[in-house]
Amino acid sequence: MSKGTYRDMWVYAERKGEDLSPVAKEMVSEARRLMDKYNLDYKANERVIVAVLGHKIDKAAKQALEYGADIVIQLDDPELEYFRLEAYTHALYGASIRAAGWDYDKPRYFLFPATHNGRDLSATYCAEAETGCASDCNKLYIEDPPIKHRFKTGGNELVLERILHMKRPDFSGFEWSTILCIDNPDKDFHPQTCSVIPGSFKVTPITGRKSEIKKPAVRLTSKQLRVKTTSRKPVQKLDLTRYDNIVALGRGINDDPTKGFQLGVELARQLDAGLGLSRGVITASYDVDASVKQYLDEVRQIGETGQTVKPKVYVALGISGAIQHKKGMDQSSFIVTVNKDPETPIREFSDVYIVGDIFEVVPKLAAAIEATRGKKP
Amino acid sequence: MKFVVLVKGVPDFRHGHVKFKEDNTLDRGQTPTVLNPNDHLALQAALESKVKHGGDVHLISMGPPNYKRIITEAMSIYGDAGVLCSDIKLGGADTLATAYTLAAAINKIGGIDIVFAGFKSADGETGQTGPQVAWKLGWPVVTHVTRLTIDEANRTFTAERFVYDEVEEVTGPLPAVIITDPGFRPVYTKASHRLKHRDLSEDAKARAETSLDAIPVWGFNDLGCAEDTVGLRGSPTIVRVVEPIPKAPSERTALLLDGTKDNDIYEAARVIVQKMGAS
Repeated sequence: MSKGTYRDMWVYAERKGEDLSPVAKEMVSEARRLMDKYNLDYKANERVIVAVLGHKIDKAAKQALEYGADIVIQLDDPELEYFRLEAYTHALYGASIRAAGWDYDKPRYFLFPATHNGRDLSATYCAEAETGCASDCNKLYIEDPPIKHRFKTGGNELVLERILHMKRPDFSGFEWSTILCIDNPDKDFHPQTCSVIPGSFKVTPITGRKSEIKKPAVRLTSKQLRVKTTSRKPVQKLDLTRYDNIVALGRGINDDPTKGFQLGVELARQLDAGLGLSRGVITASYDVDASVKQYLDEVRQIGETGQTVKPKVYVALGISGAIQHKKGMDQSSFIVTVNKDPETPIREFSDVYIVGDIFEVVPKLAAAIEATRGKKP
Repeated sequence: MKFVVLVKGVPDFRHGHVKFKEDNTLDRGQTPTVLNPNDHLALQAALESKVKHGGDVHLISMGPPNYKRIITEAMSIYGDAGVLCSDIKLGGADTLATAYTLAAAINKIGGIDIVFAGFKSADGETGQTGPQVAWKLGWPVVTHVTRLTIDEANRTFTAERFVYDEVEEVTGPLPAVIITDPGFRPVYTKASHRLKHRDLSEDAKARAETSLDAIPVWGFNDLGCAEDTVGLRGSPTIVRVVEPIPKAPSERTALLLDGTKDNDIYEAARVIVQKMGAS
């Protein structure tokens, strides 16, 4: 399609049970802020439309109104009780296009949560809608940028209007890319879509706003329901928040990852602490010895896309403190860092910073802790 | 049966390998390229399926001509054949344009039962390409798969998936796209399977070293995609700017200690024990 009509900012609001999830409240709040400014800047009257999917979800739908939704689209069907990628994609896409009764072809903007299911849904929704998605964003704004692009502007610099700027931390949080989704002259790419990292935006309750809940019928074909869930059972997850203290390993173990894990595991045992890992350790795919392999597991990741911990003491071994890691641990009461580089980002939020090689410092530190404890009455 | 594994080359993010430019952004030209770590599990999943059901494993990658190396790296885990999609008209693709290209390559091989892909690439980390390839093929897709069983007679699969705090079992028809979770583990309970796994792994390692020149390159004309669906032209998104994340203001004033001095180590130990409040 080219030169279509697009309006409104849509939000896919995830539930946690019968309630709206925290990230959904953050996203509706942010969408409200963005569209209030948009309506002022462009003298427009476009809305925040929140889609809630599931079965018997009146409570979650009502909650969306408390954060500034203009319209809540409640897609309620027994087949949607639990998340199913194909069924959710078709139901959501079908509800968001002109055929569903809107006075536009597709939404102008669409926000998804960067959660497991939200990411998957953003991908398939965008594949169905033939548009682009910036994943894992943590800052959004709308402006009119000058753009020069071989295809999108025919190589000329043009000022494009109402472009959602979607900023995402790349490469474990060292780089920040600004992604735009832009029409080609002969082919539209809408909605401009992104997924947003939970915890990026402030929740702002809003009262007294005129708003409504719509409950359009959900129609799904048997083909759209071909993947079926046959069983579902809860599992015990490794929960690092139940530890009073945490020892965490970063890429500083690189010179000898097996030894690094051994040191971390031993220190954690000594301090009765949980063992955490930075994102960098997960993505480095270290080939560690079988004796410590069980600890090299993504469930131990601390940070924006892992667990958030607030222990009494957080011991960071060989962690540089990229923003993605910081978000998961900077509320710890006391942060002790060992790093051979005296100038790293984590120094800015550490209480004690030991400059030294973890392979030399940690055994000495463990011995000193043992001796210190022995002296106590 | 016929399997495909989608593999990707990514910068080697191990400490000491990754290089930065002066503005602190990633210097891709100076950073070596390796097989995406999560793709190892997709390859293991394909190998498990081959051990149990026989057939061929085809590897597909997309990237510049030197990415043939990525396919041979993947082949050392397992692959009967590999193909690289490479063409100036395919370059600069975002996830949607990549999905069109890979789906076309899968259709060109033809008769595929399962496409395997890893969970997220280490560089883009979007996690979108696998599900979008499935969408462009019109096949079901299951993500976060930790275990897979295939029912050849009924042409169905059963997958165990792990999301949030739940283990889910799902079934669906073949052909399908299976995205392995970082927690995916192949299961070999029969001795005959373990032997076959060992033999196939050894064959794969031997074959990988000599296969580089035999890997075909498919360009735009080989794939039959519409020009406005692939490469830079077919990509809805652009990167407007890449910048280093601004340094946050100091939040705490760290007591700076020297790890080579015993007194400093003891001071650290004293504070840790005190703050832990434990005996």
